Amino acid sequence: MIRYILRRLLLMIPVAFLVTIGVFVLVRLSPADPVLAFSGEERDPAVLAAMREEFGLNQPLPVQYVAWVSHLLQGDLGRSFQTKQRVLEAIVERLPATAELGAAALLISVTVALIVGIASAIKRNSFVDLAATSVTLAGISFPSFFLAIVLILLFAYVIPGHLFPPGGYTPATQDLGDNLRRLVLPAVTLATGSLAVNLRQVRSSLLDVFGHDYMRTARAKGLRERTVIARHALKNALIPVVTLIGIQIGAIIEGAFITETIFFWPGIGRLAVTAIPSGDYPVVQGVVLVSAFSFMITTLLVDLLYAWLDPRISYDTAAA
Amino acid sequence: MSGAAIPVALRVPRESRGGAIAYFARRNPRMIIGGALVLMWIFLALFAPFVAPYDPRQVNVSDSLLAPNWTHLLGTDDLGRDVLSRVIWGSRISLSVGVISVSVGFVFGVSLGLAAGYLGGAFDLLAMRVIDALLAFPALVLAIAITSALGPQIQNAMIAIGIVAIPAYARLTRGQVLAVRAREFIVAARTIGCSPLRIVVWHIFPNVINALVVQATLATAFAILAEAALSFLGLGPQPPDPSWGQDINYSQRYLPNLKWWMSVGPGIAIFSAVFAFNFLGDALRDALDPRLRRSA
Repeated sequence: MIRYILRRLLLMIPVAFLVTIGVFVLVRLSPADPVLAFSGEERDPAVLAAMREEFGLNQPLPVQYVAWVSHLLQGDLGRSFQTKQRVLEAIVERLPATAELGAAALLISVTVALIVGIASAIKRNSFVDLAATSVTLAGISFPSFFLAIVLILLFAYVIPGHLFPPGGYTPATQDLGDNLRRLVLPAVTLATGSLAVNLRQVRSSLLDVFGHDYMRTARAKGLRERTVIARHALKNALIPVVTLIGIQIGAIIEGAFITETIFFWPGIGRLAVTAIPSGDYPVVQGVVLVSAFSFMITTLLVDLLYAWLDPRISYDTAAA
Repeated sequence: MSGAAIPVALRVPRESRGGAIAYFARRNPRMIIGGALVLMWIFLALFAPFVAPYDPRQVNVSDSLLAPNWTHLLGTDDLGRDVLSRVIWGSRISLSVGVISVSVGFVFGVSLGLAAGYLGGAFDLLAMRVIDALLAFPALVLAIAITSALGPQIQNAMIAIGIVAIPAYARLTRGQVLAVRAREFIVAARTIGCSPLRIVVWHIFPNVINALVVQATLATAFAILAEAALSFLGLGPQPPDPSWGQDINYSQRYLPNLKWWMSVGPGIAIFSAVFAFNFLGDALRDALDPRLRRSA
């Protein structure tokens, strides 16, 4: 196992290197001049040249890259052009809001997918199954921002009582009730896309397990149906679901960009989206980099968890 | 060879063409529904100037914010522009982004996959690390990063979505190439002196095309959704051009006044177009490539 972990970590190094090159190139592709963006109203060529020198922008690109990566390794993602705040600081400030939204969405998605997925696999071709499969297909194709608008329209304006506010955020430490009330609509929006994929996976891997001999044996030895499903089927069927939940973390990060924007949720997605029109590249670059690295680390953790959960997987094959 | 006579049916009575189509439709309802919806959107996009009842950019303040009625089937927006006409014209942008970005992903991804799978060695290792690096970004985040760096324009959205689509094609093609490259007909082609390019283009590519067609259909669904998301964030076509995602974003400010029709038209359009390509892709997967069939 340790050899496998080491090998996976080693494989991550070239990928991480390429990711940093990608992000660096992306920012340099941008037609906007970062010095002009940073200097605001200042247009004196001598001042601008001094700033260019200070930021190292007059150096050759490879030198700039090495300087950027060495800052990166010290946790320095640069400063926002607009607010002059340190990018890492801005991201860390907003991370709890994104984490809260992501965790709530994942909880809703996994719980509903398990309950409905199990019901639809057990009662295959029933009304529940048909409804679940149709909802799955619709869920994959439904744009999250449109769903958000439908939810806001219904629950914040049309249905009497205005059950949930159309947006905004209250820290849980300040007012837990209001925090949760404001969390419901964005969490449901964010959960729906991944719910469709999770539900499909729970259903199909359960159906796959149902066909195995050990299920027939479990029934033949007189176990109750509930025990057969909980102890024999679910245990095996949930292994692929674990992997999928890991992949969903990526969907949740990208979904956060849109959901946070619509619901005025002060997370890292909204931070990046509000930085785009003003050309605040260090912020966009920082958020993209943090998203990519969190996605990479989650994928690695899920792979390790997968290998640990299923003893049939040999680490050599899993690494191949 | 033995001299035994083999009974040969000289003429098999054929079913009528109508019967054959009905049989096919019964067996493949998803392909029919998905295909019909796809054809409908292609038709609307191609003939938008003839099908759309009004000019989508025509401002008419006296008709602003009208609820759906017989003259404006999907209502009008705050500038009095016809929502239905904007939806129909918007399909041009969505479908063209879908087709062009999928083609970009297809050409680069398939070439990379074919070369990596056939050449192997150091090229394969390097190419796959580049693909891994692309996959390290959540897809939409990468598209947002590329478009925001290049500037909010429809061409840049196409490039961004195309780049995001590359890894899926490259991995799929490489896997299929690895599966067929050891087969006898490839060895035979190499033995008779075919060049590597000829082997890849004429002998390997036709064997992986089915899986690629399925992938292209599903990727078009993703591209339409991604374009709508980019437009929603202001990174696609700019106003006053009609675009589904952008129109939904614009309609948000009228939600408190319950002007729901401004968002519903483009929302249903995105949903139906994405659903059509997903449905068709799923059906094609079952029909063309049984190995890829899911147990669901």
